[in-house]
Amino acid sequence: MVIVEGPLWRSLENSTLGTTIAGSEWMFPTLETIHVIAIVTVIGCVAAMDLRLLGITSRGKSVQAMERDTLPLTWIAFAVALVSGGLLFVSKATSYMVNPYFLTKDALMLLAGVNMLVFHFHFSKDIDLWGQPGGAIPLGAKLSATLSLLLWMAIPFCGRVIGFTLGVYYAS
Amino acid sequence: MSIGDLIFNGAELLRSTRLAEFSLGLADSSFSLWLQSHFYAIPLFQTLHILGIAALFSSSLLLGLRVLGLSGRDQNLEAAYRRYRPWIWSSLAVIVLSGVILVVAEPVRNLTNPVFWTKMILLVVGALGTLLLQSGIRERMASWEVSSSGHATLRSGATALIVLWMLVIAGGRWIAYAPI
Repeated sequence: MVIVEGPLWRSLENSTLGTTIAGSEWMFPTLETIHVIAIVTVIGCVAAMDLRLLGITSRGKSVQAMERDTLPLTWIAFAVALVSGGLLFVSKATSYMVNPYFLTKDALMLLAGVNMLVFHFHFSKDIDLWGQPGGAIPLGAKLSATLSLLLWMAIPFCGRVIGFTLGVYYAS
Repeated sequence: MSIGDLIFNGAELLRSTRLAEFSLGLADSSFSLWLQSHFYAIPLFQTLHILGIAALFSSSLLLGLRVLGLSGRDQNLEAAYRRYRPWIWSSLAVIVLSGVILVVAEPVRNLTNPVFWTKMILLVVGALGTLLLQSGIRERMASWEVSSSGHATLRSGATALIVLWMLVIAGGRWIAYAPI
């Protein structure tokens, strides 16, 4: 397991940035607070879009209009979550890299990203036609939305369990 | 007095009330013991709590941004109000229910914690603010797109509410860090 237990993570943790965050009383919880606010924005906005794709909510609104409302917020909040999460990671990099819930969370986020790309470049073809109010949503788009909803429920669960298992797993 | 001292004194005060015995008794209840002894129980209810917060915060944000004229302009204000209001209140119900379960799971950590009670006060202010904002929207939504009367008031209210919900979320995170 060269990747998860490599020396890179130890040197990250021992960097000035890592030790500063780890040594501060307020930085870690402050970063967590920013991380949570960003994450709930990502999850809520993604879910609003997914529910529109499933035809459950906002049926009177075109899918494109829903995308215009939610996508900029999703990207801004995701960027904030990534930066705050990255800083949290640096402060305890070796503990995170041996934590199976952290690694699962990363894999699920990667999957959510791939799902989004597949939707964007494949299933959203002809969205100008089916995306109108009352349009029949293709099965592929619905499957993609369902997968997205499930992934964004599992991701915060993994995130929460990390908080209970940091320090339980050790690098050999 | 520093914030740390304030929290410490608040915790001392809470411990001198009947909340101390009450939370110890609650921690010994069978439901609390069940939650404490099943490893995934607390993170599962925390996840439910977070998903509720995601729905409440994002619905408030999207409705607030519609009031601010920054999003959802393909439809009128009334459509946005009808779209998000039910989600705001039903997710608040999920948040309160899962929150009660989390308090039962860890009664002492929460009930004798001044950060927890600060969060509860902010939560009540948030719920009342939401009622106020929604009644303001109802009053003005018929003329919203044609007249700018009352826009400034509702817009400051919507902004304040978004900030308030962020403070409630911050309160939730800092419960874990209060020295009690």
